[in-house]
Amino acid sequence: MASIFGIDLGTTNSLIARMEGERPRVICDPKTGAALLPSVVALYADGRVVVGEAAAELEPSLNPEHRGAIVPASEGSEGGGGAVIRSIKRYMGLGGDEVALEDRHRYTFTDFSGPVVRFQIGRRVYTPPQISAEILKALKMRAEAAVGEAVEKVVITVPAYFNDGQRQATKDAGRLAGLEVVRLVNEPTAASLAYGLHHLASGRIAVYDFGGGTFDISILDLKEGIFEVLATNGDTHLGGDDIDRVILEWMLQGLPEAVRLEHRVWNSARKAAEEAKKRLSQETQVELELALPGRHVSRTLSRAELEQMARPLVARTLASCGRALKDAGLGTKEIAAVVLVGGSTRMPLVRQQVAEFFGREPLCELDPDEVVALGAAVQAGVLAGGSQSDLLLLDVVPLSLGIETMGGVMERLIHRNTTLPTSVTEQFTTAVDNQTHVDIHVLQGEREFARDCRSLARFKLGPLQMAPAGVARIEVTFLIDANGILNVTARDQRTGREHSVDVKPSYGLTDDEIERLLEEALDQGEEDLNQRMLVQARNAADEILSALDKQLKQFPELLDEEEKSFIDVIAASLRNARKGTDKELIANLVDQLNIVSAPFAQRIMDQAIKLALEKHSVDEV
Amino acid sequence: MAQAQCPACARLQQPRLLCAQCGAPLGVELDYFTALELPRDPLVDEAALQRAYHDFSRRLHPDRFANQPAAMRAASLRATALLTRAVRTLRDPVSRGLYWLQLHGEKLAVDNKQVPPELVELIFAIQEELGELRAASGEASAHWSRVVQERREEINGALAQELAALERNFARWGKDEGLSKPAAPLMTELKTVLSRIAYLRSVLRDVERALGEEV
Repeated sequence: MASIFGIDLGTTNSLIARMEGERPRVICDPKTGAALLPSVVALYADGRVVVGEAAAELEPSLNPEHRGAIVPASEGSEGGGGAVIRSIKRYMGLGGDEVALEDRHRYTFTDFSGPVVRFQIGRRVYTPPQISAEILKALKMRAEAAVGEAVEKVVITVPAYFNDGQRQATKDAGRLAGLEVVRLVNEPTAASLAYGLHHLASGRIAVYDFGGGTFDISILDLKEGIFEVLATNGDTHLGGDDIDRVILEWMLQGLPEAVRLEHRVWNSARKAAEEAKKRLSQETQVELELALPGRHVSRTLSRAELEQMARPLVARTLASCGRALKDAGLGTKEIAAVVLVGGSTRMPLVRQQVAEFFGREPLCELDPDEVVALGAAVQAGVLAGGSQSDLLLLDVVPLSLGIETMGGVMERLIHRNTTLPTSVTEQFTTAVDNQTHVDIHVLQGEREFARDCRSLARFKLGPLQMAPAGVARIEVTFLIDANGILNVTARDQRTGREHSVDVKPSYGLTDDEIERLLEEALDQGEEDLNQRMLVQARNAADEILSALDKQLKQFPELLDEEEKSFIDVIAASLRNARKGTDKELIANLVDQLNIVSAPFAQRIMDQAIKLALEKHSVDEV
Repeated sequence: MAQAQCPACARLQQPRLLCAQCGAPLGVELDYFTALELPRDPLVDEAALQRAYHDFSRRLHPDRFANQPAAMRAASLRATALLTRAVRTLRDPVSRGLYWLQLHGEKLAVDNKQVPPELVELIFAIQEELGELRAASGEASAHWSRVVQERREEINGALAQELAALERNFARWGKDEGLSKPAAPLMTELKTVLSRIAYLRSVLRDVERALGEEV
């Protein structure tokens, strides 16, 4: 049976893994042996895409005139320019107006409105699911090259605190990458799966997941193979990136704004900040180099100073931990084990604070960068019906779900930390006579008023039969599936028939838009294929023309006038055709030229053999 | 109860979550006690409830049906959602009490939140103090915060007493009055206790909001 692969689509790094026998294993790049694929995507204006280390390496050659742009390549690209996009995960599920102010100068966006963020690259527009899809495609290729098997079905992990829109965007990315996303799994739960195999038979564990862009805390109850999440909390915009930013701001303080925003400066500072943060986990002091126009500046940063800057951010994570424990109805003493996940947990400050908060040393034996991918692989194995079939994940919805009612109030229908899948059925009726549709506005959040919660979608039920107000009885079922995504169905209670539900998601791409992108990608793919074939045809033409040129000069005597004129005519046609784009014509002419010059070529060959034989016999003598 | 038919193997049987023959989800609506195969009694054994939850989850969860046809997957999704609702409702004594009313065709009137008479004074005091807290700033704010926090302890105490009364009521259904012919006094008492709990909890929510805590 085909494997299902597990993917950790991270803010900073992504990985792909699968079960090999009883154990999950990360699939490394067959050429470099790297387990991590940097979640960095370089988009050229001519449509070329580069993902990973290579994309990260393009960053230094940034064109200061274009925001985030790459210095145009010397040939091939029309117009040049492009962008190197990092941490795309932070843009998933956001509306155009939600791009953080401090990020707006980093890239070129089409505008700051609409249900989805749009990056402008030359004449092309990219949305976050499309960019994430490029990372998924790169992982797909890596795995296919390494294991020699097609990658079709995958389990992708998401932060536990991701809302419906962010989850949907992740599923969309999978679809755009040509993958069937069998399940979304929450990152802390996935990590606990990976640890669960090694350690505990039963008990309550806390998973503290501090990654590049997101923070999650999940409290789980493990019992006889069932991983039951009791509560989860977090922040989908709090991660190592934010610590980098604090350092970056410290580095650039005192400099005029124009210099700070200058792309090369900003980028060099960001890189130095990230490196400093990492090094200070081992060393107690580092020197940072900053490249400014015309000069270099260096500054010293001590671990103590870094910890002072990072402390408020870590404090926020602990506040989340407190809320999760409260929701679970537990105290820190009742937690049997604490697991650390995510690169940011390598910081000594984080380890120390977490140990203090929970009153015990946290477990971190598994590589914090790989553990989520390993867990995803375990769940993939469970779904594929492998040997771990007695494992079961019972996860929860992280945010309450409800509808907007009279007075703009949010009426909660499904409470946060309700185990999934779950459903609730509500009755709706009409407010006025002959009302044709019923509108329902669904939201996620904990606040009292709809305006303070996150709009999920607007559902339109109908068309309804003409009737006086209050007569219609529509039963609407809100079901949140195991992925944490909402499905709405409606039934007319009087007729028993299903109502059609028109969904207008508040954020993200609609199904139609995705279909269109998939078609475009196919066309694009075809275009790319055509382009490649054209290049091949031209190469073949060049080869034969230059070979013939040489031969005609060397062996004019082996050719008679008639033959030569045939060859000349076809060669001339070929030269012409080669300037154009009709690859079939070029290929045809190459064939014809081959045929017409074959006797000539044969004679050259014969002569060479004769000469070689003569030489040989002379030598022999 | 009318018999149900298994969509997978067509076997006719008493309505339940899973087919007795082939284990497929029957996809029928059930009351929560029937679904979990627990005795129809508001006094619920927590451990038995949890065991039932885990056992059924193992057999019903959509992850178990990942490779099955779409119809089966949909049935398992619905059945698991029902299971989750059932467990969640019966696990919490208050939601269980409300469900018990519902099973008997009863419910709490919308504005039926009753102030327990012995707590009238306390409630008045709290409303005044909440007003002060909301209007205060600086030092005064800290003072009123402490006062309101102490009141919160009093409310929690009152709530605990009502919850104990709820458990006592649950115990009587099985013993004294018989489950098939619910006596009016038992029902009235249940409604009263639930109304008081609803009221105290709404006061508690107001207190927590005023203290700036997430609800």
